[in-house]
Amino acid sequence: MYKPQRVHPMAILQFTLRTVYSLGQGLIPLLLIAFAQPEMRRWLFWGLPLLLAFMVAYGILYWLCYVFYISGQELRVEYGVLIKKKRYIPFERIQTIQISAGILHRMFGLVKVQVETAGGGSQAEFVLAALPRDIAAELQHILQEKTQHHEEPGNETEYIEYKLSTRSLLVLASTSNGIGIVLSAILAVISQLDDFFPKADVWGKFAAYAGHLAAGKISLIILVVFLIILLAWLLSLLGTIMQFGGFQLRREGNNIIISRGLFEKHQMSIPIKRIQAIKVVEGLLRQPLGMVSLQVVSMSTTGMKEEGNVLFPILPKAELPGFVEKIAPEFTMSMKLHGLPARSKWGYLLINTIPALIIAILCTVYLPWGYVAFILPLLGAALGNAQYNDAGYQVENNRLLLRSRHLGRVTFIIPKQRVQSMHVSQNPLQARGNLSNLRIAVASSNAAATVQLRGMDIQKSSVIMKWLFAQRH
Amino acid sequence: MRNYPAQAIDPKAVPYWRCSAAIESVLLLLIPGGYYIAQQHWQHWPTWITFVLLFLTLAYDIFAVVFQPEITWRTWRYEVSEQEIDLLHGVFIKTRTLIPMVRVQHVDTKQGPLLRRFGLSSVTISTAAGNHEIPALADEVADLLRDRISVLARVVEEDV
Repeated sequence: MYKPQRVHPMAILQFTLRTVYSLGQGLIPLLLIAFAQPEMRRWLFWGLPLLLAFMVAYGILYWLCYVFYISGQELRVEYGVLIKKKRYIPFERIQTIQISAGILHRMFGLVKVQVETAGGGSQAEFVLAALPRDIAAELQHILQEKTQHHEEPGNETEYIEYKLSTRSLLVLASTSNGIGIVLSAILAVISQLDDFFPKADVWGKFAAYAGHLAAGKISLIILVVFLIILLAWLLSLLGTIMQFGGFQLRREGNNIIISRGLFEKHQMSIPIKRIQAIKVVEGLLRQPLGMVSLQVVSMSTTGMKEEGNVLFPILPKAELPGFVEKIAPEFTMSMKLHGLPARSKWGYLLINTIPALIIAILCTVYLPWGYVAFILPLLGAALGNAQYNDAGYQVENNRLLLRSRHLGRVTFIIPKQRVQSMHVSQNPLQARGNLSNLRIAVASSNAAATVQLRGMDIQKSSVIMKWLFAQRH
Repeated sequence: MRNYPAQAIDPKAVPYWRCSAAIESVLLLLIPGGYYIAQQHWQHWPTWITFVLLFLTLAYDIFAVVFQPEITWRTWRYEVSEQEIDLLHGVFIKTRTLIPMVRVQHVDTKQGPLLRRFGLSSVTISTAAGNHEIPALADEVADLLRDRISVLARVVEEDV
């Protein structure tokens, strides 16, 4: 540990794959073009294996040059084949240590260790691609012990655990947004089929076949569409189950420790000090089911990815107060909100209906059946009404709660000392009605970590301003 | 709302903004100019677009050079107290920004070549959630302000 050492040779595979992947992305169009021309194919026959051999050699060199060790109060990594790079990370800069194991890792009894630091950007993160489990555990132990050295020792015996039940996992998977992504991916692949096999004329054959079979029956087309959607849904279901299967969360002293993943195991520890705010999301589909999901706003680089922010993927709303009190009592709040003044309702209604109204009018003028689009302003009005009803705030002790809705309902709990800046703005209309927009900026790895509440009474905004600067007793 | 922040920014900001808007407007004239040349080249492009573009550019330039600097200067206010930095700006949408002194990570003064000609500097206040700028202050004022904020930010150290 204190002498420079290499990671497990399995990492060579990963280094090589990474080069192949990053180079491949750029080369694929070129390769396709080359492949289409007979005289070029011969070149490819020799060139490709050579290129591959070169990449493997580079992978081995990279592995040889990649060493890590601990020196004093720093974790040091030295790497780079042509340009030597050294990265020294002081222990107190380390935000989280994440241990994960993919299928390949598991076959060799290895794990991947990711060390996260505060500075945003993917560069800040560094990865020990493959380590034997015991060495990783030792490293984690040393790093965690040292990083927490100068904190007050938490109750080590305190040990509360939450697990994601199978039922919850199924609800989570079946209501996840993944379906849209998978659906568009499938459609994209299908639409590309023609480009890849220009001679095959996939669509022509498909249409002929369908025409032959159904002899003009529309029901078959509907069936196919239905099957595609079902397939997309099943794939996204599987994706979510693989990602969040076996989700466990526990509070250990001053850390929240999360492990998740069915095949690829992820373990992550979030120091409670690093959490800037807690975000409670009630999606359109999940709100009627009485389910919420919890996220954290933090400065770690894993936070750049959606799943890195998840504190608990799905939880019955009734269990929320108990959960927060046990896992993160630093964020406990009553969920009773102060709503907005009635005069701000107009703003919410107008902003949601006027664009929809313009679209509806244009549709009516230019499209047959265009007047059907008049359903849009109605939906807009309903949304505006819901946004007005759900918006609200609460100030309690040293915490601020803000709730608003775009489509889903989102509630933020922000401790006072996490507020980086506060903005109160008024447009001329709001100035006449003594209304204002309140915006709170918190630190996060994503740029857009501002929480906004539109249509606050200006007096109430002032109260929150005063609260922010009130001396603590 | 409580009292507006007390300090205005330096009056020299107005000629400075006029000057920078004038430079910008010369560059903007390249758009109708470019279209005119292209139109001469390919005769079938309509001529009237040249005039529309020219009119729009000139209208914007006049607004940016004659009116905007004055209005912006009148609406910009700031105040730095021991506990907080208080900014107010915006012509149509007025925005009041409060930055707790404890959250200030560092302060910079900046000066481009044009700002230097007018003896002005801008002060940038950085927090973990982004930067805030006070646009045009006299050099000495900006330096004093920067030093003051930096001292205050250190004094009110808290658990972060």
